[in-house]
Amino acid sequence: MNGGKGWGRADGRAVLEQLLAHVEARPEKRVFRVSMEGIEQMDASFASEAIVGLIRRYRGEKGICLENLSLTSEVAMNIDLAAEKAKIPVVVWNGRSGEVLGWKPSSGNRQAFEFALERPQARAAEFAEKVDKMSIANASTKFKQLWEKGFLLRSESAADSGGVEFVYERIG
Amino acid sequence: MMATLALAGDCVFQLPNSWVDPSRFEGVLLRGGDALGTEVRRVVFRFPQKCALMIDVVLRLLSFCNQLVAKMKHLRLEFTHRDQAIVGYLSRVGFFDCLPREVEVLPFRPTVSGASLFHGANSGLVEIERFDCKVAADADLRERLSRAVERGCRGRSDSRSVADSVATIFSELINNVEDHSETRLDAFAALQTYPRGDRMTIAVSDSGLGVLNTLRPALETREPRLSRKSDSDLLVEMFRRGISRFDDSDHGCGLKVSARNAVRFGADLDVRLDRTRVLLKPANGAYRPNMAYTQDHLPLVQGTHLAFSLKLS
Repeated sequence: MNGGKGWGRADGRAVLEQLLAHVEARPEKRVFRVSMEGIEQMDASFASEAIVGLIRRYRGEKGICLENLSLTSEVAMNIDLAAEKAKIPVVVWNGRSGEVLGWKPSSGNRQAFEFALERPQARAAEFAEKVDKMSIANASTKFKQLWEKGFLLRSESAADSGGVEFVYERIG
Repeated sequence: MMATLALAGDCVFQLPNSWVDPSRFEGVLLRGGDALGTEVRRVVFRFPQKCALMIDVVLRLLSFCNQLVAKMKHLRLEFTHRDQAIVGYLSRVGFFDCLPREVEVLPFRPTVSGASLFHGANSGLVEIERFDCKVAADADLRERLSRAVERGCRGRSDSRSVADSVATIFSELINNVEDHSETRLDAFAALQTYPRGDRMTIAVSDSGLGVLNTLRPALETREPRLSRKSDSDLLVEMFRRGISRFDDSDHGCGLKVSARNAVRFGADLDVRLDRTRVLLKPANGAYRPNMAYTQDHLPLVQGTHLAFSLKLS
């Protein structure tokens, strides 16, 4: 980016190509953190192409999150608006604190998302145990919806029962 | 200098001997006639001694001049005195640099460009920059704007925040022209602070297809009810929801961002379209149809002309 500033779609597409090349060069890696340190200005059109475009490309298979971004900054607000319009969640980490810009989890799934955000991995059974009157099936549905919409990643592991269970992972 | 003789069938636009804002400019156009929308061959603008133009009017006039020349009309700008202040100001902002050579200027076109001499030297002014949909706007323009805004808002505790927000507005308006304008005629952008009026005006003007002219056809199939709304109602929805003629999730956020930022600082939004002018004033944190002042059936001025005007303190 030119001096920490991102303006317009053309520049956004150019940066997207660089980011895509970086991700494609690391096929074994599932989670990428994009540092926003030093990014002084970015308009919504640039954010739409570079940030939202990158996250949307890999939704469901790889996780792209941002770090070092003040949530009250103009940059964050522009990313938020661009991502919300595209229905893409953008996870932002500042230290250990994680927030979402853009598409937010529904009111019914928010608690499940916050549960997952607090730990590297989450299972439906763990969430159901923690929440009063929450069945494992219900918890599983919530996590699945969050994965489908791009809030979480997931992988398969062997369940204690001998079957397969999904393990949900926060992005970052 | 006496005004030259206007022939029968000419369109003569007499500017007032005072400050001219968009509302007064429309009055001038209404009294002078529909120069662009009729077969009139000669057009004259007369600038009296104390005439002064707001920067958004300067850009609209510049675009209008370009359109008249493109339609092969003979255009003449008459200034009553060679040293009158408006000539100096127009030279300073770069008006004459962007004015087609075919336009006759009386008593004479300034030979030295004030904009070239002093470019970037005035903290309260970003000189007229021209760009079009084929060539990206100068990247430094946004930086100059940002610095000018910050200087102009020195008195505010949130000057940095304002500068960032205004830079976003400017960038998105320019992006919009680059994405949608589809014309070979130049677009223009400028900024001017008015310390006495405690205001700053950001203006972008293009001679393209017109933002609603491209939006309505696209909405006819997607949202037919929306496509039938009045210009002012549709404009409000466009800014409020970020509607674009492109039916995808990537487009439309630029104007929405601009409006969000402008409303945050209590800015008025003035939009001139083909034959309509809409002035939106923020109310309760948004632009709303019931707070829109609309003028219809205006003389034709092609393109989209936007101006945000926000308070400095």
